[in-house]
Amino acid sequence: MMFARIIKIILPLVIGVAMGLIYGWRLDPIVYVEVTPEILRADYQADYVLTVAEAFSTELDADTAAKRLALLGDNSPAQISLDALEYARSQAFNPDEIGLLEKLSTSMQTYTPITGENIP
Amino acid sequence: MRSRTRFPWEFILALLIGLGLGLTYAWFITPVEYVNAQPSQLRSDFKDEYRGVIAAAYAANRNLDRARARLSLLADPDPVQALSAQAQQMLAAGISFNQVSQVAQLAADIQSGAMSPTIISTSQIVEETVPTSQTEVQGTTLPTFGESTSTQSSGSVIDAVTITPRPTTTPTFTPGPAFALVAQEPKCEPNKSRGLLQITVMDARKRQVPGVEIIVTWNGGEDRFFTGFKPEMGNGYADFQMTVSTAYNVRVVEGGTQVPNVTAPPCSNPNGSAYTGDLLLTFQQP
Repeated sequence: MMFARIIKIILPLVIGVAMGLIYGWRLDPIVYVEVTPEILRADYQADYVLTVAEAFSTELDADTAAKRLALLGDNSPAQISLDALEYARSQAFNPDEIGLLEKLSTSMQTYTPITGENIP
Repeated sequence: MRSRTRFPWEFILALLIGLGLGLTYAWFITPVEYVNAQPSQLRSDFKDEYRGVIAAAYAANRNLDRARARLSLLADPDPVQALSAQAQQMLAAGISFNQVSQVAQLAADIQSGAMSPTIISTSQIVEETVPTSQTEVQGTTLPTFGESTSTQSSGSVIDAVTITPRPTTTPTFTPGPAFALVAQEPKCEPNKSRGLLQITVMDARKRQVPGVEIIVTWNGGEDRFFTGFKPEMGNGYADFQMTVSTAYNVRVVEGGTQVPNVTAPPCSNPNGSAYTGDLLLTFQQP
């Protein structure tokens, strides 16, 4: 009698939890409306880096380019530009675009941030 | 003996508690981890930064179609207004005029549709290249600029070809001729006019131009401001509050001639009472 009573409670409880999970994860998951760039899809991230590279091609301002790349997360600007370059190669971007990314990536490899310590 | 069917309160209560626990876990404790976001979902400050980079890239390659396609990813209802408003905010924040002018220039060029040859129509670029579904898996190709791309979605591979407008085909931008005063109209509107100097700056196609610096000088003073601070009035609009009986000299900085002795026009109501009207100056490139 006691066992049956427990089953009567446990069973609907488990069913309820399962329904809640299905609803909360699949049917109506949390919708993020103000996201950060680091979770942009890879192709959008690569295009953002390409945009930075296009600007860098005439500005030749490594500091500004590094700040713009820093928007994409905690990785170093060198790593971010390298990732974008690899993505561009894997997706057969055109040679001009790859050239711009290479130029940016090369610059970022040798880039040293300007900090208070660097200033005499 | 009578058989009695009891309402299953215990079952319903346990089900509801379970549902609550499940939702709490799914929404608050371990919510869906979000990846593969689109630029349109970015926080507004990141969108501003993105627009600034697009404008800087446009300043470098003068490729208006590409800039348009990129801006469309941000899904601004009115990209020109968004750029103009951002230029104003940047000015107010003291950001370098070079960066501000890049944003303002992009707004002006998008509005006028000039500075870039039409390789393919903008609508074609957007239609072909901007992904619309959030459910596309990671690993899809560039949304806008791949040449021949393969998009993997739900296990199937779809071949798609997008035409890329090349930066190298875009002619070099040359600034237009100086702005000249083409109209000077007093505006007398009772209960609305208040001695405002209203300035509209247009290009040769009569499209309003944001980000143009105006200098107003008077005896013992000077003020500098830019068009586009009030996009609701037009992207090439700016205004300045005049003082009655003070004469001002107005000049558009980018090579414009000086307009001397500008004063707030006197107006009068039908009942004979006097008030100060507004003055509208229109500058245009020939």
